[in-house]
Amino acid sequence: MKLALLGAGVLAWLGVAIIAVLVVNAWSDGNLVWPFFPIAAAVVVAWLIGEWVTERVFLSGNSEEVRHGSA
Amino acid sequence: MALLERTLASRELHDPGFIRRIFADTRMAPLWAVARLYLGYQWLLAGWHKMWGSERWINLPGEDGLGLKGYWERAVSFPEKGSPPIKYDWYRDFLQYMLDHEAYHWFSWLIAFGEVLAGVALIVGAFTGLAALAGATMNFNFMLAGSASTNPVLFILAILIVFGWKVAGWMGVDRWLLPALGTPWEPGGLVRPMRGGAGPGQPPRPRPT
Repeated sequence: MKLALLGAGVLAWLGVAIIAVLVVNAWSDGNLVWPFFPIAAAVVVAWLIGEWVTERVFLSGNSEEVRHGSA
Repeated sequence: MALLERTLASRELHDPGFIRRIFADTRMAPLWAVARLYLGYQWLLAGWHKMWGSERWINLPGEDGLGLKGYWERAVSFPEKGSPPIKYDWYRDFLQYMLDHEAYHWFSWLIAFGEVLAGVALIVGAFTGLAALAGATMNFNFMLAGSASTNPVLFILAILIVFGWKVAGWMGVDRWLLPALGTPWEPGGLVRPMRGGAGPGQPPRPRPT
């Protein structure tokens, strides 16, 4: 179950990469502002899915949050 | 001698709270995500033009890298009026060496793929600090070659993201990658068992004091 959830999270971020490439391909004629919004929307959706997965996969037990560079 | 010892004595200077708030607090993650997205989009767009655009550098019917060759030739040239694009002789020598050895054939692939990869990595927030550092290195080289364009702004943004590497990818893949892989000084959950340290679910080994 946890593996499936993790797979869903990975797929969500893979989707962001694919959407970003497709958007740039479709609107690569100029340095436009509009392509930024679908990419940002995809990132927000993937982030929400990621947080949902994190809560169920990584924070379900007594897992610790790793803080790199902390004192 | 005492003065030297006192000057070089070990002291840790702490960052003020607002610096830690900006560069290490996850509450700032949305702001870093916007910066990361903007920078990533710019790199992806630039790389896309070099790979598949009408004036692309690679993937052409003929020789690859002729666009880069033209760029380097303009950069190393001395105009009849005004100052040359490159200010540092050592950098001009470097580009001339690359031109003489026809390195533009493979270097154009490196730049195009590097820009696309840096762009995608920044957008999804994977290895964000390293991707920003790669981007900053490319900006730095373009500026050394005499191209201002958007490079100064993108360079500053990339450097800020490098400083904020811990939280810049928090709303991204780094949320999982950093705890899993860790850093050279703090191995992550996947690396720790391989190094003979504590496994997942076990407390980390105590740090040497």
